[in-house]
Amino acid sequence: MGMSRTNIIALLIFGAVLGYFLSFGPSTTQKFKAGIYQLLAPFLTGGSGLKKQITSVRTGLKSLDQLEHENTALQVENTELRATNRGLRDVEHEVNRLRHALNYRERSVFKLMAAEIVARDSSSWWRTVTINRGKRDGIETDMPVVTDEGLVGKTTTVSEGISIVLLISDENCRVAASVEGSREQGIVSGQRVTTGLTPLLDLNFLSKQADLKPGQKVYTSGVGGVFPSGLLIGPVKAFRVRELDGQAQLTPAVDLSHLEDVFVVTGRR
Amino acid sequence: MIFFFVLLFLVLAAQIAELFIPALPWLYDAHIYIVPVIVFYGAMALPFPLMLALALYAGVLLDALTVQVIGGKVEISAGSSILLYGVLAGIMHGLRPLFARGHWEVHAILSGVFTALIVLTQYLMITFRRGSLVFTREIWWQICGPGIAAMLVAPILFWLLQWIGQMTAYPYGPDRGRFE
Repeated sequence: MGMSRTNIIALLIFGAVLGYFLSFGPSTTQKFKAGIYQLLAPFLTGGSGLKKQITSVRTGLKSLDQLEHENTALQVENTELRATNRGLRDVEHEVNRLRHALNYRERSVFKLMAAEIVARDSSSWWRTVTINRGKRDGIETDMPVVTDEGLVGKTTTVSEGISIVLLISDENCRVAASVEGSREQGIVSGQRVTTGLTPLLDLNFLSKQADLKPGQKVYTSGVGGVFPSGLLIGPVKAFRVRELDGQAQLTPAVDLSHLEDVFVVTGRR
Repeated sequence: MIFFFVLLFLVLAAQIAELFIPALPWLYDAHIYIVPVIVFYGAMALPFPLMLALALYAGVLLDALTVQVIGGKVEISAGSSILLYGVLAGIMHGLRPLFARGHWEVHAILSGVFTALIVLTQYLMITFRRGSLVFTREIWWQICGPGIAAMLVAPILFWLLQWIGQMTAYPYGPDRGRFE
């Protein structure tokens, strides 16, 4: 049984569109990705807000449940007061977080653009987050992203109002680094697959004699042009000698799995 | 035709939802993917041209989210997800007679296998670019975990989509006795 004419035409159109996409070069691919992200931006920011609300309600219900177990004789008025209190505590936490961030921005030697994380990568092989800042906020490709605790990553795809940040825990994010208290320099990159809540980073191309000790801090060295020097990457967790070089494992200074707010380094003051 | 547009909407909604579904820490951080299950149901329920259109649409969305351009280099080229969805949905489409005879379990299992195959193909593509092909236990779970999750979700989603098909008076399907 042969294919009908409609099916053949459909297959030809499919093949033509596929060929068109496969012919994309890096810059067209980046524009295509940025375009789709821009279209999805309202859903991503809306979804992020919805997720926060759901989490907040769930947390509220949990603590209410605990309170009920602790004291069954609570009056309705008391419950209302506690609920109000809890709401205020949430606000206080938010204020503290923002004040903390604001202090960092004022202290920093860099020009920083505050951004909020609206989505995380759903794929298995890349470590990225999406932030609610884009070209119209002065963000460009390959800008470092930090928090007051240290380095987070760099921007890759930037659309009008939204950008993708490649995290330092991604294998593709390579950062030139130096180790405090030594002359050792190397390249930090993430691991292809991470398990557990805290991803680890690899610091490669150290000398075999480096003998780094756990706790020694690793900073960006400024080589390469993307990351300015002096940003904390994280402390050394372990060191081992390989056939050709030394390799250290680092714990990222920033808790990448619970990031909420970040700063994009847009320049120096 | 309404059902086709409902599927397009569901694919978009599921693709966005996936960005907010956290990885499963008890399954080596495996992710849950719903979109492939919807696409594979569409491959069974839709006529050939619409099946290709759905695969194209889902592929474009997945490409937009997975292609990475780093340092001026493309790691997975645009179009690869379209090709993957096209081929896999085509295979699923070819097995429609089984589904028509009421063997939905074959398609549920295949949805899981094909979802894992998508993740495996992505891994092989990035490995080709980055080098050092390794298969640790964690990597196998990253590949098979989404497949198992898709396999478990498939019967519920199939039932839901079949119900939506009935609600939209979609004329094709196993319970309606005709497919083309």
